[in-house]
Amino acid sequence: MNTVLEVKNVSKMYGRVDAVNSLSLDLAEHTIYGLLGRNGAGKTTLLHMIAGGIFPDSGEITVHGKRLNKGDVPTQCCYVRENNHYPKNARVRDVLQMAAVFYPNWDAKLASQLLGIFKLNPRKKMRQLSRGMESMVGNMIGLASRAPLTIFDEPVLGLDVLMRERFYRALIEDYAEYPRTILLSTHLIDEIATVVEKVFIIESGSLLMEEDVEHIREYAHLVSGLNSALDEFVAGKKVLHREGYGNAGMAIVYHGITESERSQAEQHGLMIEGVPLQKFFAYLIEEGQTHE
Amino acid sequence: MLTPFDESRPIFQQIAERIEDDILNGTYAEEDQIISTTQFARLFQINPATIVKGFGLLVNEEIIYKKRGLGMYVTVGAKEKIMNKRRERFYNDLVVNLLDEAKKLGMSTEDVVAMITREKEKLDQ
Repeated sequence: MNTVLEVKNVSKMYGRVDAVNSLSLDLAEHTIYGLLGRNGAGKTTLLHMIAGGIFPDSGEITVHGKRLNKGDVPTQCCYVRENNHYPKNARVRDVLQMAAVFYPNWDAKLASQLLGIFKLNPRKKMRQLSRGMESMVGNMIGLASRAPLTIFDEPVLGLDVLMRERFYRALIEDYAEYPRTILLSTHLIDEIATVVEKVFIIESGSLLMEEDVEHIREYAHLVSGLNSALDEFVAGKKVLHREGYGNAGMAIVYHGITESERSQAEQHGLMIEGVPLQKFFAYLIEEGQTHE
Repeated sequence: MLTPFDESRPIFQQIAERIEDDILNGTYAEEDQIISTTQFARLFQINPATIVKGFGLLVNEEIIYKKRGLGMYVTVGAKEKIMNKRRERFYNDLVVNLLDEAKKLGMSTEDVVAMITREKEKLDQ
């Protein structure tokens, strides 16, 4: 598959703080990615650099084969910011009209459908909108732009459950018909767990992990039972976290487990369960912290 | 997110199981067309690539097959194939575990059989 975005050894400091620290990642065409990290992990700084809003201290960013120089804004890229700053006195329909001029793949029909789905009044002025509705205007532009690289930064902040569902549904629906590269940056992991194909997990400006979500589901296990059996089972396997109580304990194991290993473990009284992405993320981050 | 899938194990396997269930319960007969990737994605808000992978499992096992340009169809003999596979799993997962647990609790095989017979009679009444 073709590479749509290439980030190579990119760093950015704010004062003495490493917001992004020698980070590299590639995005392929026709894939939905998740960029996961806690608040302050460096997600937004990275996205600003990709969108050309700020320039890295070092490293290279290449979008659709063209390296970004200082002041460049990548073409064929739609970046929906967490705090979009559309003119406060513009009406929703004016904002859409501007977007229609700006994005070459703009689909006006989809935009008008989304107005209805997201319950937005095109005559309202931007300053009259609630936080959630303002997010929805951005999300609508992100979807209707059909940009080959579309980036959403915390797209569901301020939205109620119903509107979140509607956004994810609209995203999947349109993506299924018009595949493109989408990067969803969020700290709300379980909401996007089935929507994304691959995740980048970042912490303190560095990439902790890059993996297919289905691979994580296959590899992440919570194993519990007596410590003696547990020790034997985890030997040679990657353990993210271990905790004990008396003779018993539990371990978060990141390793494939074959059917025979599983039944053998169960014979020894061990219990093996899956770990949801959100939990896995928490254990991974926590482990990173204790090594600091 | 609303999804009938268990988010702690691979979704593509659960998608395959769901289609198998639909073949077993008669939602799809042999030679019927099954739900499309796009429909499935929209219905459950799941990444289309995951669904393609789930359908791929069933294609490998010759439970469904692809008609070029049309979609996925249920293979003749698919139901029998699924039932055989599930019977094997029934033995491995349920019968073996049942007897293991019975042993831990100090129950004899006769005790277990008697319990099953009693329950079956209750159900049949």
